[in-house]
Amino acid sequence: MLIGRPGCSSPHSPKFWWKLRTCLPNKKVAAALRTVSTGQAQQRSPRRSILFFAESFTRPLPRLDSPFGMADQKGTKRSSVESDAQESKRIKTDERNNPYLAHLNMDGANDGFKSPLDDMERHSTTALQAAKAEDSDVNPWTGKPHSENYFKILRTRRDLPVSKQRAEFLELYHKTQILVFVGETGSGKTTQIPQYVLYDELPHQTGKLIACTQPRRVAAMSVAQRVADELDVELGQEVGYSIRFENRTGPKTLLKYMTDGQLLRESMHDPNMSRYSCIILDEAHERTLATDILMALLKDIAHRRSDLKIIVMSATLDAQKFQSYFSLRKEDPPAPLLAVPGRTHPVEIFYTPEPERDYVEAAVRTVLQIHAVEPEGDILLFLTGEEEIEDACRRISLEVDDMVRESDAGPLAIYPLYGTLPPHQQQKIFDKAPASFRKGGRPGRKCIVATNIAETSLTIDGIVYVVDPGFSKQKIYNPRSRVESLLVSPISKASAQQRAGRAGRTRPGKCFRLYTEKAFKKELIEQTYPEILRSNLSNTILELKKLGVEDLVHFDFMDPPAPETMMRALEELNYLACLDDDGGLTKLGSLASEFPLDPALAVMLISSPEFYCSNEILSITSLLSVPQIWIRPNNNRKRADEMKAQFAHPDGDHLTLLNAYHAYKGAEQNGEDVKKWCHEHFLSYRHLSSADNVRAQLKRIMETNEIELVSTPFNNKEYYTNIRRALLAGFFMQVAMKESSNSKIYKTVKDDQMVMIHPSTVVSSPYDWVVYNEFVLTTKQYIRTVTNIRPEWLLEIAPVYYDIDTFEKGEIKSALTRLTEKVKRRQAMKGGR
Amino acid sequence: MSATNNRPAQGEEEEEDDYMSPLFLAPPTTSSSVPIKESSLQRRLRLKREAEARGRPKSKAELAQEAELQREKAHSTSLLSSKPQSKGLAMMAKMGFKPGSTLGSSTSGSAEPIRVSIKEGKEGIGLESERKRKLRELVENMEKTEKKQKVEAVDYRERMRKEREEQRLEGQIRGAQKVAEGLDTDRSKEKGEDIQKKLLRSLPVLWRGLVKAREENERDKRMRRDLEQHAMSRLPTYDDEDEDNDDKKALGKKQTVYEMSEDLDEEDKELDEFNGLTAEEKLKRLVDYLREEHHYCFWCKFQYPDEKMEGCPGLTEEEHD
Repeated sequence: MLIGRPGCSSPHSPKFWWKLRTCLPNKKVAAALRTVSTGQAQQRSPRRSILFFAESFTRPLPRLDSPFGMADQKGTKRSSVESDAQESKRIKTDERNNPYLAHLNMDGANDGFKSPLDDMERHSTTALQAAKAEDSDVNPWTGKPHSENYFKILRTRRDLPVSKQRAEFLELYHKTQILVFVGETGSGKTTQIPQYVLYDELPHQTGKLIACTQPRRVAAMSVAQRVADELDVELGQEVGYSIRFENRTGPKTLLKYMTDGQLLRESMHDPNMSRYSCIILDEAHERTLATDILMALLKDIAHRRSDLKIIVMSATLDAQKFQSYFSLRKEDPPAPLLAVPGRTHPVEIFYTPEPERDYVEAAVRTVLQIHAVEPEGDILLFLTGEEEIEDACRRISLEVDDMVRESDAGPLAIYPLYGTLPPHQQQKIFDKAPASFRKGGRPGRKCIVATNIAETSLTIDGIVYVVDPGFSKQKIYNPRSRVESLLVSPISKASAQQRAGRAGRTRPGKCFRLYTEKAFKKELIEQTYPEILRSNLSNTILELKKLGVEDLVHFDFMDPPAPETMMRALEELNYLACLDDDGGLTKLGSLASEFPLDPALAVMLISSPEFYCSNEILSITSLLSVPQIWIRPNNNRKRADEMKAQFAHPDGDHLTLLNAYHAYKGAEQNGEDVKKWCHEHFLSYRHLSSADNVRAQLKRIMETNEIELVSTPFNNKEYYTNIRRALLAGFFMQVAMKESSNSKIYKTVKDDQMVMIHPSTVVSSPYDWVVYNEFVLTTKQYIRTVTNIRPEWLLEIAPVYYDIDTFEKGEIKSALTRLTEKVKRRQAMKGGR
Repeated sequence: MSATNNRPAQGEEEEEDDYMSPLFLAPPTTSSSVPIKESSLQRRLRLKREAEARGRPKSKAELAQEAELQREKAHSTSLLSSKPQSKGLAMMAKMGFKPGSTLGSSTSGSAEPIRVSIKEGKEGIGLESERKRKLRELVENMEKTEKKQKVEAVDYRERMRKEREEQRLEGQIRGAQKVAEGLDTDRSKEKGEDIQKKLLRSLPVLWRGLVKAREENERDKRMRRDLEQHAMSRLPTYDDEDEDNDDKKALGKKQTVYEMSEDLDEEDKELDEFNGLTAEEKLKRLVDYLREEHHYCFWCKFQYPDEKMEGCPGLTEEEHD
């Protein structure tokens, strides 16, 4: 894997945006991880259509078709070879008949230039031919001469373990429709396999692209950049990437890296994935929700489209599951497997003799002992979250100072690593370890204290020692209480092995597990539960409905979720009016699926014009889709709170977010230095500007779907009330009622969970009823981002959900009953007048 | 409350107890039976107390416990049987779902959602189960000792006598083993063999246990000393380049080879079998062995010159009285 290796990083690619997909306690935030600034990207990839002709002179085989336009819809019944042959013929004839291009053929004849790709026949190329094409002086994809750097990179590429098996890979690829490829981290599969496919698919002949999915947006971006460098093309041209809110592909694009979620969204409008001739699902072992759904969809499409090739790539050796899943028909043998060994060294594993009382303490101690007695080599310590990591870093650095003073220890540089860390600080982990204080003294080294983002997604060279306390934060969802939270949980055996493997990247290493061997064998589960078993599925179910999947119950999940999870999702979508009582997709549901948002947020946004505040709700939705914009540094909490109080609206955190955003935009309009302004006001410029960008994208979708953008005049006294009411249109299922007037305890509606308002709130006098954005489960149960509401609004805005007969006996039911009577009386009085 | 008030023993403490009530003499009723009428005074007091309990702000621990209880309650009730039936379930039923089955095309799906378990504190993996195991052992032991005590109370004296007898026998066995070891060693020295160099397994089973216990004891001591000296080097891989052989020896790091202990940890069925015998039987075998091999009478404490063993009164201890 190349992600994060300094050699392939470019300063402008927001490389470290993998953002706490796993570390932030909120699916909305996680969703926001997929957001990245596009403005900058689009500037960097100017539309090249005007230059097209000029460039074509040097192109050996100009692409005349749009990559999306030539979808071979009719040809699905023909055999692939036949259809391809016909199609390429058609292109060639078209080319000759095109009077505008007549000069091209002449030029080609005059030059005598012959592209190495001309000799190659699609789906029967050899590794030798491909190597020859790669070695040629002229880039077969652009027609331009290869740069010097290209050949330098080419040499290192040929050294990769996967390179030795290129011929074997092609042979297998030609023979089968679906292939399972196993290559450990470091084998080069993510960058090389798509290129091998490129030289075999010859997409310029068919007009069909090759797609390679990645679970993380950072990976998609950085790998695309790397592969563009390796092919000596410009990123966004022949090689591009597409992630949520950012598309860097062009008409010439042949190979496209994308997040799995992005391919899933694309498939909603192209259920046969007809624009692709080969789809590669990378990192399938991570079993993200989107990859799982894609596997099921692709399995289905493979029946219909025999010309579509599928490669499932995994980094772990338990590939049988994929193989047997991808045997298309019952009688078929399992999908063939190709395995490439990674470049790894042996790792010695040590266990503690007794279970640890405090794993953070034990981890700090172990790091110090390694530093004191082990030979040279960097240390990687896995902990669970920001707070814990910062705490451990502090403790280690204090102790090391003493060690240096008292016992002649070498220098130790300590770097934290977690998703909310600003990119420039994340980049530091690639700094060289400090040198020893004096020649022949104890070695200097660096110690990286990281969350499990360091487990698979990035490679740090030089790590020789891994300290593994055995925990990570994992998303968990339980449909019974509708709790969705990130909880510290023991890792799986597979995860522990992956962590240990990190020590053997550069030379033989050691892994210190802070638990007993018995605990490893008895207490750790075999595999981490796939995300689909740990997630709220309402978004997924909506997507599947949009894709036209009728029978969700028998949908071919690789690991089917619990029935109750699906039941909850259907129920929620029904309450949101996205599905009718028969499970059919409603107009609203269809519209909601157009937004890359959770259904509740999408519905809130779509219904906001009814409350005369769609502009404001659009801003709030964007702000809820990015990580926390508030910054509260440990050493300056009081000042940060004072600053936040400036924006505070007494009735709600949602309104406070909006105020902060308006102030930010105001500062921007006044021509202030926005970065400085943000810094002074303890706001995150990074997250505010990405919210701004998300807002622009969502606005475009609203405009396309003709959703009005309106506002209540600011000096109207209903301005904030309208917004509070509009929040309920999407979040009426996330409401809590105060237990008694002098208590701080709230009870969530229908689920009856006891919660408190998160201390970060600005709501000064909480009402009896509040709407909340998320339920946070730690050792306490909190609701976060809270706004005061009036219970009458609930009856009015969500009468079906607040039908009293559906409530269980209790305080909430009696409160609602009293309320209904009051409302009735009032109406009767009005009517009587 | 009223039930307890009617118990005379406790009634004394309760000032408001109504001694004139006919209920005072009635046998105490369990709370599950017909509710007892409470007087207006009692009622007022009860309501007051209840109101106080309600009004009192709950402690954090209580709140946490209550919240956890609510959560556990929610997590342990399946939604599939909830009333009224969920619309989501109705939709699934239309697609052919039957309660009790799983989703997906095969039957491999999970039927239950993954449990939410909240980790408190920073305890390492395995600590909780270790603690539970220890607690369980403690309880089991307590049960065992309780049982024992019941039996023992009956014939305490008999048990004490037996114990004393056993102790005496054990002492005699150890004595006999020592004598046997001494005699055997002497004899093998005469033959020119060095019995000390032999493996544990090759020693006569009769006194092998003695040597084994000694060896184990010694090894423990050695390890404890090693551990104390290496408190600094807890990592199992510790190896300081600066130390030369002398340092290592001085620090006790250089491993000294104990020949006898090589097979110390190996399983020894023969020995186990021997140890399984009763004390009387063990002693008898030892005494017989000494007599046959060395013409030594354990009871006379004398090694006779020939196998006739003239002057020895007999085989048993009693005969020597």
